[in-house]
Amino acid sequence: MFIVTGASKGLGKAICLRLIKNNKKVLGLARDTKNLPFKSLNCDISSTEEIRSIVRIVRKQKLNITGIINAAGIASMNLALTTPSVTTEKIVQTNLLGTIYCCQLFAPFLVRNKNGTIINFSTIAVSLGLKGESIYAASKAGVESFSRAFAREMADFNISVNCIAPGPIKTDLIRGVSQKQVEKIISNQIIQKQFTPESVCDLVEILIDKRAKTLSGQVFHIGGV
Amino acid sequence: MNDIQKVEGIVLQEIKNVSEIKKSVINKRTRLIGNDSILDSMKLVELCLSLTDIAEELGFEFDWTSDKAMSTSRSMFKDAGSLSNEFLRQWKNN
Repeated sequence: MFIVTGASKGLGKAICLRLIKNNKKVLGLARDTKNLPFKSLNCDISSTEEIRSIVRIVRKQKLNITGIINAAGIASMNLALTTPSVTTEKIVQTNLLGTIYCCQLFAPFLVRNKNGTIINFSTIAVSLGLKGESIYAASKAGVESFSRAFAREMADFNISVNCIAPGPIKTDLIRGVSQKQVEKIISNQIIQKQFTPESVCDLVEILIDKRAKTLSGQVFHIGGV
Repeated sequence: MNDIQKVEGIVLQEIKNVSEIKKSVINKRTRLIGNDSILDSMKLVELCLSLTDIAEELGFEFDWTSDKAMSTSRSMFKDAGSLSNEFLRQWKNN
């Protein structure tokens, strides 16, 4: 079974549906999981207490966790100088700390099996240093650094840890970004087209395949940068 | 046998199990972190998971990510004795 955070919309939901389509079991986590068509639980991943409560449920139900996909994330496209501190804290708390907390608290399930896959999510904004995304990019740069080092810590247990760094995928996350800005970002990709959640799901499927066991500590850019 | 002796017995046994070292050389002062530790990082994680399972059987949650885990001077992982004390403290505070 795969734990997928951010399961109520965007990439997280698309990944859940793809996994289910391919006969994989999924436990989706999101702040509001109402009406989701798969097994899911409410969880705000910025809270260690809420994650711990999920850990208790997983242990109690003896669910066999084989992978963790940390797709939950928030964005706020603003200049750093005009971003309120509360927004900065929220972005770092959810994107960076939330990812770290989920890795810390869910990874022991994989450690017990001495097998598993962890996929975290970064962004093209890290490698391009996009104007107006400095705080978002900083939080995701932290995710990339954490993932590289965590991959070494988990390698002893036959667990791979990788990052997927999408460009401007058509989801709610970029609804505040103008088409002109999207096109400008895409022009920096090696493959200059806007990709869909399906492309991200394809890469997730590759990374969870046992034939991808040689890949760990890597950041994969959708479209290339 | 009092509680701390019982817990020390459990912890020493688990250290023995994960380290695959004879019990005779493992005691309360056996170091679990640092240069003279008998456990590498992988074995330390395995020890934590074992103690988590035992704690569950005893009816409490063993939190090995608490602030006390990281301090060099008073880390619960400093030696087998400190780990036993912290395990007992969490058990009693449950």
